[in-house]
Amino acid sequence: MGRAGRIEPSGPSPGRRGPVAGESRWAWLFLAPTIIGLAVLSAGPILAAFGISLTKWDMLTPPKVVGLDNYVQLLGDDRFLTALRNTAFYTLVSVPVGLVLALGLATALNQQIQGIAWIRTAYFLPLVTSATAVALVWLWIYSPTGLLNQVLGIFGIPPQRWVADPRLAMPSIIAMSIWQGLPANVIIFLAGLQAIPGEYYDAASVDGANRRSRFRHVTLPLLTPSIFFTGVLALIGAFQVFDQVYVMANPGKPSAATITLVYFIYENGFRNFKMGYASAASWILFLIVAVFTILYFRTQDRWVHYQ
Amino acid sequence: MIARTASGPIERRRPRPGARLLTRRASAYAALIAGGVAMMIPFLWMLSTSLKTRSEVFSSGPVSFPTGLHWENYTKMWFALPDVTFGTFFQNSIVIASLATIGQLITCSMAAYAFAVLQFRFKRVLFALILATLIIPFQVVLVPNFVLYRYLPWPLSESGNWIGTNLPLWVWAFFGGAFGTFLLRQFFLTIPLELADAARVDGASPWQIYRRIYLPLARPALATLAIFQFMWSWNDLLDPLIYLRDLPTYTTTVGLAFFQGQFVGKWPEMMAGALVSLLPMIVLFVIAQKYFVRGIALSGLKG
Repeated sequence: MGRAGRIEPSGPSPGRRGPVAGESRWAWLFLAPTIIGLAVLSAGPILAAFGISLTKWDMLTPPKVVGLDNYVQLLGDDRFLTALRNTAFYTLVSVPVGLVLALGLATALNQQIQGIAWIRTAYFLPLVTSATAVALVWLWIYSPTGLLNQVLGIFGIPPQRWVADPRLAMPSIIAMSIWQGLPANVIIFLAGLQAIPGEYYDAASVDGANRRSRFRHVTLPLLTPSIFFTGVLALIGAFQVFDQVYVMANPGKPSAATITLVYFIYENGFRNFKMGYASAASWILFLIVAVFTILYFRTQDRWVHYQ
Repeated sequence: MIARTASGPIERRRPRPGARLLTRRASAYAALIAGGVAMMIPFLWMLSTSLKTRSEVFSSGPVSFPTGLHWENYTKMWFALPDVTFGTFFQNSIVIASLATIGQLITCSMAAYAFAVLQFRFKRVLFALILATLIIPFQVVLVPNFVLYRYLPWPLSESGNWIGTNLPLWVWAFFGGAFGTFLLRQFFLTIPLELADAARVDGASPWQIYRRIYLPLARPALATLAIFQFMWSWNDLLDPLIYLRDLPTYTTTVGLAFFQGQFVGKWPEMMAGALVSLLPMIVLFVIAQKYFVRGIALSGLKG
């Protein structure tokens, strides 16, 4: 498990023999669909998006080149800045809280006891659910007469408006997203925990380490690759939050409290047909994710221990 | 048991470690089960609401159980819309998810085979490029892809192009994918190259080696990819929202979101709808949990 989670361009290349005649021709045949897809559906469109972002275009009349106007306009657009702020808040809260909770849960679930498989199933179930259906259920939980207010009422806490309250809307959505995102992180952590050789713990015990210091000095360092990897996934995923916001904003009209970057892109591109404006916003999203991912990878040497 | 029958005195002299272990184990169980129930609350709440009447929903306390099982919420939900039933949405979702899954299985396994077994120039660069797309937020290509599909002709659609059809939701899958290629390549690398070499000596072409050796051996990894792709397609909201225009073409997720707009406050029916839309995935998960777990652990932990 040593190099767990390290994303590398290429693993050990099977260099056991010289190139075989015609082999590379075969390779390009096998890769043909992928290369077309890369050019037409992902890498190409990223460049195209930048091109479109330099225009004003409603898809009915020909595009008009306006240079960086869209970007300038975005930086003065309150709704965009709000979306940016909301997305940043969502990411900064949901990623660390989600990871810490998942780490604790994975440690708790990493026990060889009878029936653990069934117990794990209960924890893993949110993994397969659509954010749409889940948001609908939580919308009901958060509703004025919903479960949460009823339970809080038992303790004498007055009913809150949750997603309808501008202050509580984003935290409410974050709580739901953490619940839904927990299983995937727990599964990665569990795999990481189970790959730690038992001898390490034995050695630590011989040295007189108690439970806590074993966790601190054995488990945690050896788990850093998994933590790093889930961190990347969570970070990228958090910037893309859309479904929850779309459903909870009933139906598809988020207020300033919950609008996110991807919703902003959707709204401008596919509701208002401002293709250039939406593309500019999506390029900003792209740059933010790229910068954060690169910065995050830079920290790797400082705290990730590969065995 | 054995210790007790063998030597009573010793057992009596130090009963505490066993007892402590037992309490610790019992409290671990209790905590884990309590946590599991807590995680399940949204599901239980959804189920119980879906079986209540509307007046029960608003009058009763939080942990009340329905007075009777009002299954009629499910039929009301199923036939709630005038022209289409919820079954139509289901059908659409199954068609789209199945086609996307087939496409990914074929083209990702082909690319993975090339990366794992064949020698060619630019291999590292190309693989790095594909991995990079794994990190790129796909929303960046939303507008250009929409433009592309807007100009791709399709005689059968009302618009004359791909907008309003389900084509943009699955055709892409026949042109490779980063996650599937990465996952399958990792698995292919564990298959000894001697197998391919031996077959090659016997005169097998790379295609035959791929078809006859690699695909059959990679069945567990293919199952993992299939399950994940099916789930992603089934759960996707943004793309169907953009490309589907008419109610009869909606998938379950868009149908559900539409339903929400139409039936404000009808919680029992809405929860019935949410539950029904989740059911296929829940069943799949209970049957194939190990593939889900393996897929997540494998793609994350076998760099």
